Amino acid sequence: MKHPKYILFATFDNFTKARDVVMELKVLDLREKIIDDIDLFSPIEHPDVEEMLGEIHQPIQRFTFFGAVTGALCSFLLVAAAAQSMFTVQPQGGKAVIPLPTDIVIAYEGTILFGVLCTLGAFLAYAGLPRRLSKHYNEKVSDDQIGIEVTTAKENIGAIKDVLNKFEPLEIREITQ
Amino acid sequence: MKDIEWSRINKDVLESLQSPRPLFWVVIAICVLVVLVGVGAEKYQYDNGLGVALMNRPHYWQLYISNFVFWIGMSHSGTLLSAILLLTKADWRKPIYRFAEAMTLFSILTAALFPIIHLGRIWDLYWVMPYPNERTIWPNFRSPLLWDAAAITTYATSSALFLYVGMIPDMAICRDNATGWRKPLYTALSLGWMGRAREWMAFRKTYVIVACFLVPLAVSVHSIVASDFAMSIVPDWHITSFPPYFVAGALYSGCAAIITLFVMLRYLFRFEAYMTEEIMEKIAKLTFAIALVWNFLNLGEYVSIWYSNDMFEKEVLIQKFIGPYAPVVWGMLICAMIAPFAMAFQKVRRSMWGMFWLSIVLQLGMWLERFQIVSPPLASNHEPWTWSVVWPGTIQLTITAASFAWFTMLFLLFCKVFPSISMYEVKEMAFHRRREGLHDEVENIHDIQEEIIKTERGLT
Repeated sequence: MKHPKYILFATFDNFTKARDVVMELKVLDLREKIIDDIDLFSPIEHPDVEEMLGEIHQPIQRFTFFGAVTGALCSFLLVAAAAQSMFTVQPQGGKAVIPLPTDIVIAYEGTILFGVLCTLGAFLAYAGLPRRLSKHYNEKVSDDQIGIEVTTAKENIGAIKDVLNKFEPLEIREITQ
Repeated sequence: MKDIEWSRINKDVLESLQSPRPLFWVVIAICVLVVLVGVGAEKYQYDNGLGVALMNRPHYWQLYISNFVFWIGMSHSGTLLSAILLLTKADWRKPIYRFAEAMTLFSILTAALFPIIHLGRIWDLYWVMPYPNERTIWPNFRSPLLWDAAAITTYATSSALFLYVGMIPDMAICRDNATGWRKPLYTALSLGWMGRAREWMAFRKTYVIVACFLVPLAVSVHSIVASDFAMSIVPDWHITSFPPYFVAGALYSGCAAIITLFVMLRYLFRFEAYMTEEIMEKIAKLTFAIALVWNFLNLGEYVSIWYSNDMFEKEVLIQKFIGPYAPVVWGMLICAMIAPFAMAFQKVRRSMWGMFWLSIVLQLGMWLERFQIVSPPLASNHEPWTWSVVWPGTIQLTITAASFAWFTMLFLLFCKVFPSISMYEVKEMAFHRRREGLHDEVENIHDIQEEIIKTERGLT
């Protein structure tokens, strides 16, 4: 049987305090292995986020590269194929059926269009959007507070709350997942 | 900019969505009226044909194409400057980039109307799209007009997505504070953004990558618009330097438009604390620099025509300065070439209303520039028996006025529904400036401590 997980969501009034809390929670987890996940919510990107949570692997640029290459090829082939299909009815007057300069212009635009679209697709995938708001989401986070979400088992709530309370949070919310 | 508290930033910007000055509604009412008159003029042209717009050989391109080039040009600066200033980490872009990007989107939507209006047979619009030939339709891929369709579609899509992605964190702020009809709108547009670390990281990376794409895209779009002219054999259009000249002109008119809208928004939405004189001075300096580049390219064009010794090109150039269109050309030179030198003076650069009126003059100059590119060469072409002077008639002028009203209406409605200042970016700016300020203070304290220690050692 799967045990229910508990989420503690605490809000703080500055980045320094939030960083200290995360560092202390990590030390606690290193010692006792009781935290499943820590996440940070903030009104702007926390300047030390990678130092606190480690590097989050998001290879968005690979999708960009894939999109750009696909865009270039598809646009070139579209124009070349359309020109070929017209070959039998449109006199070319000695000109090339597939004119390179023209196709390169269209391929250039296609590269950018598909590159942008794939980048945005990757953004949505890695950011986990679109999604419903979490039950414990605190609207103050979009205003001027920093939220820390800790996922853990029921028996560890006390220890984690002690750490959170040590840094005088503005509010702590407790939710069963 | 003063150091503004985060919650105050939200409050100020969100209030602007609720209660603009009464003048806002007056402007909207006038715009709606002018747009309706323009729709009537278009309907009349649709029913009676392009002849009512006085377009005939050799004047098959006239004000509609001038307007198309003007609006495409205006669309340039918003996204391009936003992307360039983002990549160069110029933090003064933060309070202004949102409305500049919105300006891009609405200018390009306005520009896209003109080829359709210009067609006359608007029911055949789909002929421009490249698709296989089952219906024996022959799109000419060698024509820059078809490249235009591809470039503008790409630019409009990418600019709209760039604007939207940049707005997602602000949509979340609006969602958290909205009531009534706005709540579901912002909830849908915010996509469930909660400001999580992984959201911010993906957002930053995406934003920079898209900005990198937009810079070459914007340059290509106006270069292709320039190719519409440069790849023809009409004298005064067949000029190699047209693409960079058009790009510089587009940036120039776009910067002037940013100044106009900056002052307008500052007044209508009471953004005095965010849209400051310092930022205006920086935009003015940038505009002045671009004006000088444009001046250089414009003079370079005249010189290259003169020394090419091509009799047709020279004839058209001479006719421009002394012929029937001379008032337009001289008006352009005064408004776009001489007037920007007023920005050499700091007093002018820091005067909000001074810059507002100057930006209107610059835009008038750039609008005249587009007209003098399109019309005079057609009036004195290779074939003297086709020479004739035709000025745009009432229909063309009405539709032109309506396009300005259409743009202003869309832009102001956007600013009423969506935050025209990026709240999260202004918060970032305030945060980093505060942190740098504290850092400086700490360094000063260390200096003072060292001084005290040295003094004490000296005394002992």
